[in-house]
Amino acid sequence: MNERISDSIRLIIRRPILRTSIILGIITILVTNHLQITIWKLVDGWSNLLKLGSEALPPDFTVLTERAGWTYPPCTFESDMLCSPAVVGMTQTLEIAFLSTVFGMLISLPLAAMAASNLSPYWISQSVRQILAALRVLPSLIWALIFVIVVGVGPLAGVLAMTMYTIGYLGKLQYEALEGVSKEPLEVARAMGLPRWQVARFFAIPEASNALISQALFMFEYNVRHGSVIGLVGAGGIGWYMNHYLSPFQLYDKVLALIIIMFVVVVLIDQISLQIRKRFMDQEIYPPRALWRNIVPFFPLRGGE
Amino acid sequence: MNTQPPVRLKLEDAAIGFDQESPLLESVDLEIRAGEIVGLTGRSGIGKTTLLRTAAGLVSPLSGSVECCCTADTRAQKGAIGLIPQRLGLVQHQTVGYNVLMGALAGANFLQTALSLPSKKMREETRSVIEEVGLADKTLDSVNRLSGGQQRRVAIARAMLQEPDLLLADECLGELDAETARGIIDLFRHMADDHNMAILIVDHNPVRAKTFCDRVYQLRGRRLILFEEEEQSSALPIIGEVSA
Repeated sequence: MNERISDSIRLIIRRPILRTSIILGIITILVTNHLQITIWKLVDGWSNLLKLGSEALPPDFTVLTERAGWTYPPCTFESDMLCSPAVVGMTQTLEIAFLSTVFGMLISLPLAAMAASNLSPYWISQSVRQILAALRVLPSLIWALIFVIVVGVGPLAGVLAMTMYTIGYLGKLQYEALEGVSKEPLEVARAMGLPRWQVARFFAIPEASNALISQALFMFEYNVRHGSVIGLVGAGGIGWYMNHYLSPFQLYDKVLALIIIMFVVVVLIDQISLQIRKRFMDQEIYPPRALWRNIVPFFPLRGGE
Repeated sequence: MNTQPPVRLKLEDAAIGFDQESPLLESVDLEIRAGEIVGLTGRSGIGKTTLLRTAAGLVSPLSGSVECCCTADTRAQKGAIGLIPQRLGLVQHQTVGYNVLMGALAGANFLQTALSLPSKKMREETRSVIEEVGLADKTLDSVNRLSGGQQRRVAIARAMLQEPDLLLADECLGELDAETARGIIDLFRHMADDHNMAILIVDHNPVRAKTFCDRVYQLRGRRLILFEEEEQSSALPIIGEVSA
């Protein structure tokens, strides 16, 4: 008997997959126990899910057609559809995402140039990196909570929250792109005796322009998705209107309609952004054009001038 | 009165490299005056580019002195040194016009650069140097779409607009066909003669360098030797050394 047990133990020790599976299994059981998660709680939840399903289905798409007199800021359009919770909420979410991406990029780009080790002295680059890391520590939802307390309920809190997160997140992507540029144009600029800001502005940033544009579009996508969530804590956007239906009235059919509309819009924006980003990223398929000069022109040269 | 042209680059007993214990080059003495074209040859990896980068102030000499453009320091005046690196250092995805105009940055004032507004004179000069290098019809083309020879012309046009006192060009003629190389050599000669520029040019081929340079130096065993002092045939074993 003892021999059989020792043989089994030897077998387990010899086989790494078996060994790893047993260790993972033990940890999973311990953690589940610690969190007091039981199968009975899951079974109890099933009846709630059925109840939620019956109340949410079919989705009530009147959220797209009925005028909501309680929008913030107040809607002044004549059309009921334009003043419906779905249209107002989704528009606000897009506006918050747009503003926070623009403000975030305006602030993050100079910070990224300071954080890039090939453009700045070591102490500046390390300090700015720490600031960017600190901004990324808090998720956008927590930033939204903070700004709702500071500036009150509404889209301003949303814009500020998403801007803070954008600076931290986009700043990191940007300084990594700037650090990846070829060193030769930078050496040409340094040999010319140009100051650091001109090396970054006229050599490094245009060299990395394709990656920077692609990152800004990605950030807009990200902000649209997360802009939907921050409304739940009062920071504007479609989440705020969802919360309005959820908290006092529990109108799950209207909430489901809003979720479906949000899903469609987010998928559409993802697809459009992906197509635009492809233009900048797939250089093998699309030979890169000098598009950056149209966006941030420096010394524009027209053929006929 | 016999006045000599001013000295643009002077290296005295300079040790060049990255490791104090084993420098790439030792006891380097070199003087280049305005209007001179000086060639630099030697096998791959011997330190030609490092010597050029030291002259450009991008690498500090391990010992000895490097004086660029009349200042007893490796940091010369703004715009006094022009560099054309081996891979040209063009800003990718940007137009020919943009890249050439970068040469005017050293001469632009703060407002012009901060607001990205060039003077009319700058734009006209840019257009004229682009025409001079024969790329007038490519002004708005992205540099990525140009051939190797055309890209070299862009880099040279940038240097022409900058009008540095000292131009350092690394392997500008490598891999080019004879006709294109001839065109680029003519541009260098024009820059040295008409703009009184001192030019230090790295070329793998000492025999070709001899045809258009006023002097040619060779890097051999950590030393800089004047090529004229060597016998013409000594150029060939260099190729042998590489293959060995």
